[in-house]
Amino acid sequence: MGVQANRISRRTLLRGAGAALALPWLEAMATPAQAASAPPLPKRFAAMFMPNGVRTDMWTPDGEGRDFSLSPSLEPLASRRDDLLVLTQLWNQASNVGDGHYVKTSGFLTCTTINKSLGIDLNCNGVSLDQLIAEKTGQYTPLPSLELAMEPVSIGVDRNVGYTRVYGSHIAWKGPTMPLAREINPQLVYERLLRAARPHSAGQPRQRLLLDRVLGDARQLRDRVGVGDRQRLDEYLQSVRSLEERLDRAAAAGGNAWSPLMSIVDTDAPGDAPNGHAERVRMMLDMIVLAFRSDTTRVSTFMFGNAVSGQNFSFLEGVTGSHHDTSHHQNDAEKLRQYQLINRWHVEQYAYLLNQLSAAREGDGSVLDNSVILFGSGLRDGNSHSPRNLPILVGGRAGGRLATGQHRIYSRDTPLANLYLSLLDALDIPAERFADSTERLAGVLVS
Amino acid sequence: MDLGRLTTAVLACLCLRGPALAEAPGAAAAGNSAEFVARFCVECHQGSEAESGLDFADQVTLAKLAEQPAEWRKVAQRVADGEMPPIQSDQPDAASREQFVLFVRGKLHEAACEDGITPGPMPLRRLNRNEFAATIRDLLGIQVDVSQGLPADGAGGEGFDNAAETLFISPLHAEKYLEAAHTALEHALQEPRTRERLLIATPAGDKSPQQAAREVLAAFLPRAFRRAVADAELTEYLELFDVAYQQDESYVEAVRLALEAALVSPHFIFLLERPNAEPTVQPLGDYELAARLSYFLWGSMPDEELFQLAGARKLNDPDVLRGQVERMLAGGEQSGRRGRGANRVRGFAQNFIEQWLGTRALGREFKPDASAVRRYDSELEGGLKYEPVLFFEEILTENRSLLELIDADYTYANRRLAQHYGIKGEFREQPRRVELEAGSHRGGLLSMGAVLAVSSYPHRTSPVLRGKWILETILGTPPPPPPPNVPPLAEKSADGEQPTTLRERLERHRQDIACAGCHSRMDPLGFGLENYDVVGRWRTELDGQPVDARGTLPDGTEFEGPEQLKKLLLSRKELVIQNLTRRMLGYALARQLTAEDDCVIEEIVAELQKSDYKSHTLVMGIVTSVPFRLQAARPESPQP
Repeated sequence: MGVQANRISRRTLLRGAGAALALPWLEAMATPAQAASAPPLPKRFAAMFMPNGVRTDMWTPDGEGRDFSLSPSLEPLASRRDDLLVLTQLWNQASNVGDGHYVKTSGFLTCTTINKSLGIDLNCNGVSLDQLIAEKTGQYTPLPSLELAMEPVSIGVDRNVGYTRVYGSHIAWKGPTMPLAREINPQLVYERLLRAARPHSAGQPRQRLLLDRVLGDARQLRDRVGVGDRQRLDEYLQSVRSLEERLDRAAAAGGNAWSPLMSIVDTDAPGDAPNGHAERVRMMLDMIVLAFRSDTTRVSTFMFGNAVSGQNFSFLEGVTGSHHDTSHHQNDAEKLRQYQLINRWHVEQYAYLLNQLSAAREGDGSVLDNSVILFGSGLRDGNSHSPRNLPILVGGRAGGRLATGQHRIYSRDTPLANLYLSLLDALDIPAERFADSTERLAGVLVS
Repeated sequence: MDLGRLTTAVLACLCLRGPALAEAPGAAAAGNSAEFVARFCVECHQGSEAESGLDFADQVTLAKLAEQPAEWRKVAQRVADGEMPPIQSDQPDAASREQFVLFVRGKLHEAACEDGITPGPMPLRRLNRNEFAATIRDLLGIQVDVSQGLPADGAGGEGFDNAAETLFISPLHAEKYLEAAHTALEHALQEPRTRERLLIATPAGDKSPQQAAREVLAAFLPRAFRRAVADAELTEYLELFDVAYQQDESYVEAVRLALEAALVSPHFIFLLERPNAEPTVQPLGDYELAARLSYFLWGSMPDEELFQLAGARKLNDPDVLRGQVERMLAGGEQSGRRGRGANRVRGFAQNFIEQWLGTRALGREFKPDASAVRRYDSELEGGLKYEPVLFFEEILTENRSLLELIDADYTYANRRLAQHYGIKGEFREQPRRVELEAGSHRGGLLSMGAVLAVSSYPHRTSPVLRGKWILETILGTPPPPPPPNVPPLAEKSADGEQPTTLRERLERHRQDIACAGCHSRMDPLGFGLENYDVVGRWRTELDGQPVDARGTLPDGTEFEGPEQLKKLLLSRKELVIQNLTRRMLGYALARQLTAEDDCVIEEIVAELQKSDYKSHTLVMGIVTSVPFRLQAARPESPQP
């Protein structure tokens, strides 16, 4: 692929020298007049899912409103305090059934109750927040959304509780029966972004011919199979058609053709395949930054781990165990100590992403200013699996719509869906309701 | 809360019982079950306002159970799981709950098998990632794995990643297929050997480019689509060639485009079976049967011989079918072939056993912690991962007894694994077969490092996890989930004395009635394996104390160490074999099993009992079974 980087990468510059040196040419070249007449900058949404909950006594900040002090777990976010909303007492009622993990993972962004199933009748009974957003924003970008994760789909079915582990491996649902496959290799993600952002290749007319043939086959088959199978074929048709649509978008006449806000260049490529979990997480987060900066997509989800993740965290000083095992701390002091180190590490990664997006300048501000970056877990305490008072953070300002810099404490059992409804407002995709929402969440939008 | 704990204890009683196959429910049980419904269900479930629309008073009744299998299966499951009756309601005692569940399941089983076995559904399914890679490899003759970029597949049904229900399609898939097809053809057209195999004709003399392309595609498309290809279809692909050829007159590039399209076509990506147009059960088409066989036993496309037999419509002949299964299962030597093709059955051995045992997680979801393993490297991991695969492959190719899965006097090891196990002899990086001496502490799945690792925590062994692994994986009787708000494993006893070992703490744990039910089954089984460390090394000391590998089962049976544990499992071989049959049938049918499939399991288990549990009896039983070989009748079309 020719992605070896000899020059210093844009990321290195960003890390080392802050924002000033890293201005992409767009801002550097734009005159004030041009900036004023330019179309509004796009708004982006990302959701970061952390499995296995948090240590409760270290999570919730002291104080309320603008007057709060970051808790031990949230300290890594100190430099982003003003871009942050810490939300306390939200819960996901629909996931308060079934089992300890799967229901809380698949339902994290849908706020629905998934069917108990080993495969037949697998259904999340909803559409995830990110996909609802992508339905609207996807038409403007080469990729409607980008689904990333660190672990392949978990193996097998969990007979213990009667769920296929497919549920525990997906937070993005395009439809009730359509979980979205995730990519787990940063190099491949980069290559995909590169391909998507540079569709003007010589092979384009040929690819269109090929896709026509494949679509033809799929349509013919569709009429020959039973009703049940038709859905699968339709999924495939949709999948092939999305490639065609991408070609269309690139070839669209005049000003309607998509063009990147920032070119993706070789130096953006992740380094040689790293083995460490920490390095790979960073690379994945860099891919989200790259995708958002270039406007290759405006929606992304990222899973730090699948439900019940047994990711070994002994790479952290002072940790010996795996994530899920440690989260079942049983109030053992040593396990609690390790659990906290793992929690905090996740928050550090989230802070890294926010910082990178903040350093990525565009217009008069940063990509973070135009983003909504959700962070959370589907359960509160890993030891008890309760979806009450979930650990939920929102970073970024959605183009100035979010009243960040606050810790909001709601009345017990306020629906998480209320937050999602408000986030849709912030992203200019207002809806009547979202899943079990009862009203908009007070205080998160700038009034 | 006490009520909740009690319920859990009650549920636990269900956990070591096998599925209620072939239990004839007596008249007394029927009476008790009717009483159960009347006492615990009807209050909320009656009349037009019945909860969940289930009216047990009038509509959904035990008398009509045979006509309402779906409803009653759900009822049995929810009662067994303790979800019903709800916690705030009057609760049945342990015995009545168990009796009710067994009665309903027994009745359902009776009803399902009464009318003879009918084939279940066969949903359209795409090739999974492994199958896609193997098929491309065999179709093009290339040695490159092009599936790396494809997303991993989740599992459904009986726990395998070939289950139709969970082989979803995301927008990402087509893009990845296209990329893989492109790369694969690039490789195939680069190497002279594979290029000649593909481009069997080139324009020359009086052979036009169109004629040459027709020859190439006429040979390629049937193999890619795993069936005969109609002339109209061939013409469509030729049209694609034509348009491309007219653009720049490059023959190879235009052919390549047509081939690439075929590799992304749903005809290639999906295992398609023509829907049965008849109102009666029909044998599967020959090509479809060939594909089912080859994806079951090889994890890849049919070979030339299967294609020819299918083309001659001979595959449905029982003798031919048996002969083919023997051939397909034979290892390299017997079939007289060499190289990669010789071990095609390894595709099955690996896909099946690694998912059945969960050892696929080794090196992925499960990585042992450095604190538990001093030297862990890729050669050791390779040895660990391949041990169960090669072992099972031998059981398959040599038609050995399936009971060897529990105990055997041979295994497979490479240099590092032999060191790890303390086995003497000459070994290399490639694993080889090794006869085990008495006292080696090895033999059978339970002594394999990969199994012992994935049933441990990364940093320490867990009798609970290992016991649960045996119940779930070997016996097919998974325990129910732990109760919510599970009381913590006591670090201190009531009188403040600090227990010293995990065993002592687990024993205290079991004193809690909420935990006892399942832990009294899981823990002792797991303790039997305590002589093995996280990655399966033999140990006699743990934390400065001699290893205590004794266990007492709830029925009072006492045993010590892995040898006696294996004997114990062999004394329950019916359960072991029934579970293995269920898993393999699920893998072969590539879907979740139905109640009707239970009748097949029962038949095959009976055959196995008669044949000393030979592996070929199992495979043959599956291949010749109704759901594998036949197609369900056309569903009655709804009246307009």
